[in-house]
Amino acid sequence: MDPIERIVQATVRGDEEQCVALARQVLDQGLDPLDAIQRGYSQAMVIVGDLFARMEYFLPDLMLSARAVNSAMQVLKPHLLEQGVGGGHGTIVLGTIQGDLHDVGKNIVKIMLQASGFEVHDLGVDVPVRRFIEKAEEVNADIIAASAILTTTMAYMPDIGRLLAELGLHDRFRIMVGGGPVTAEWAAQIGADGYGENATEAVELAKRLMGEKRGGDSR
Amino acid sequence: MITIWDAVGRSESGPYIKEEEFDWQVGLTARKMVEKYGICYDPEQVVPADDDLADRVYQASLDLFLEWGTYCRDTGRLVKFTRDEVEWALKHAPTTVTYGQGRDQAVMVYRGVEDPTPPFCMCTPVGQSVAEERFVAMVQSYAQEPLADTFSSAFSQTVHGRPIKSGTPQEVEAAIWNVIKLREAARAAGRPQIGIHNLVSNAERTDAILAAMQADLGALPNDGLAVAATAELKFDYERVKKAIFMRHSGHNKYGLYGTLMGGYSGGPEATALVQVAHHFLGLLVFEVQHHCGFPLHLMQSCNSTRNLLWVISVGTQALSRNTRLLVNIAPFTAAGPCTDMVVNEIVAIVAAATVSGADLDALAVARNKHPEYATGMEARIAAEAGHVVAWQGLGRGEVNEIVKQLLTEYEDKIAQAPLGKRFDECYDLARVQPTQEYLDLYEQAKARLSKLGLDYSLL
Repeated sequence: MDPIERIVQATVRGDEEQCVALARQVLDQGLDPLDAIQRGYSQAMVIVGDLFARMEYFLPDLMLSARAVNSAMQVLKPHLLEQGVGGGHGTIVLGTIQGDLHDVGKNIVKIMLQASGFEVHDLGVDVPVRRFIEKAEEVNADIIAASAILTTTMAYMPDIGRLLAELGLHDRFRIMVGGGPVTAEWAAQIGADGYGENATEAVELAKRLMGEKRGGDSR
Repeated sequence: MITIWDAVGRSESGPYIKEEEFDWQVGLTARKMVEKYGICYDPEQVVPADDDLADRVYQASLDLFLEWGTYCRDTGRLVKFTRDEVEWALKHAPTTVTYGQGRDQAVMVYRGVEDPTPPFCMCTPVGQSVAEERFVAMVQSYAQEPLADTFSSAFSQTVHGRPIKSGTPQEVEAAIWNVIKLREAARAAGRPQIGIHNLVSNAERTDAILAAMQADLGALPNDGLAVAATAELKFDYERVKKAIFMRHSGHNKYGLYGTLMGGYSGGPEATALVQVAHHFLGLLVFEVQHHCGFPLHLMQSCNSTRNLLWVISVGTQALSRNTRLLVNIAPFTAAGPCTDMVVNEIVAIVAAATVSGADLDALAVARNKHPEYATGMEARIAAEAGHVVAWQGLGRGEVNEIVKQLLTEYEDKIAQAPLGKRFDECYDLARVQPTQEYLDLYEQAKARLSKLGLDYSLL
């Protein structure tokens, strides 16, 4: 069987041991690690994401596949850097906003973003707006992604754009929001760059925002 | 004897574990228990009439809780209990709770499976967001429902024109305003001493809640407050602080548990186990008097799907058959007000919950997400369905057939459910009465439901 196909199957199964072994095999056989990532591991995570969206897979299955991919990446990443390839899809600072302790949705988005090649800095829960921005500056992030499940905490979301504007950082970071009471209308109202209804949409949105940013679109 | 202070003590001395590992282990152990006890979801038995299945779900949930206990997010420590301690707490748990005073007093009592006692009806928009100027009218629309035993709050988008932010001075102001306005709505409904089961739902911090729960503002001594566990089987000190306060104040308190199907616990079987196990957490860590479950579909944010109806039914049966806890279910629908679909979803959830032994915390509509999309009519639909199912003495087999018929009407529309109409489109706001359009829609729906076997003439 084609090694790429085996990578896809092992990843969909969440077989960490096999995913790592296949990553080593890619290097041993002189195959292109970037191709293995793009057509193998990343493509498999798209399949896993679809299965999860249809609830044929559940969060533990998603976590198993993501863990398997992460372990394989540890094998492949140094070789990508040697080839001068890297940087991934972009860097995202993620967290549940101030006052809010809910994190299941945020954690799912994190897994899906990481599995799609984004570098994600997860600040956890109850994250003050200024902390999002400080971290985004520190890691030179592309996107700030905030989640809220409560109406009282959602009210902090407008402060992200407001503070960025105040600090003259408005054009440097894209903002995406999500969570229980958050809607597309709310996102537009507060000047966020996008809203993800679920983890799959969040990944698509992040890719779109990165495309816009790298394409030099100004707001 | 075991008290809340044992839980607090163990939160400082129990085994340390990373939160991610706890999340993982709860899901893993739940699935292990599902296999051990041979628990299997059957989509044709949405409301199973299998006592042995319900008992196995209960035993598996108890085993899960005994193995992992619960997790304190403030200290990162496990808080575990012995079987004897859980059994002692269950034995001494309240079997009745009284809300309200005078002629508005109502008593929640233990309900068994297929119990002819009608469910206690807590009527509420479940914190649905609403404009400040419509807040009183919206909550009045729930308080005035004749079958409402208690009522509770919407979420005003602003208070005195200012948005409410958790942890700010405005949160304290908003919490106080909320209590004043809820009691004002009760008076406007002609039920001045009706119980309010969740007095402060627009504040997260304990200081704001404590500031608001004052008799002078309109709080009755036995009004209540929800104390929520976080997904899955976790708690934090902010919640325990509320529980400690109510231990002294005498207000009623109830647990809120929203297990996510598709989340850490996985599929319907393990979700049912985790949902049941939350009741042990509520009893032992928060010392609550009654327990409100709202298991949710991770993707659809509702519990009207076939598998969630099974979770609701089998979980409630497990508790009703093996304990005398006061178990409430909060329906969450995908569709919004003034739609045929919302009626079908409500009746399906309520029928499954009522025949299984639950009382009702009714209810969240339109996925509890869209501002202004909630009305007292949905609570009426829920309360009436619950009363009909109980008074008719329907059995689980009969309800299973009714629920399956209802599912054929809406199951394939859940992902694209209609949003329906806003509160101000469904009610005459001056009189706070539903529009003729909504009344007609419900009358026609009842005619259809009667053909399925629900006898609305009993009302």
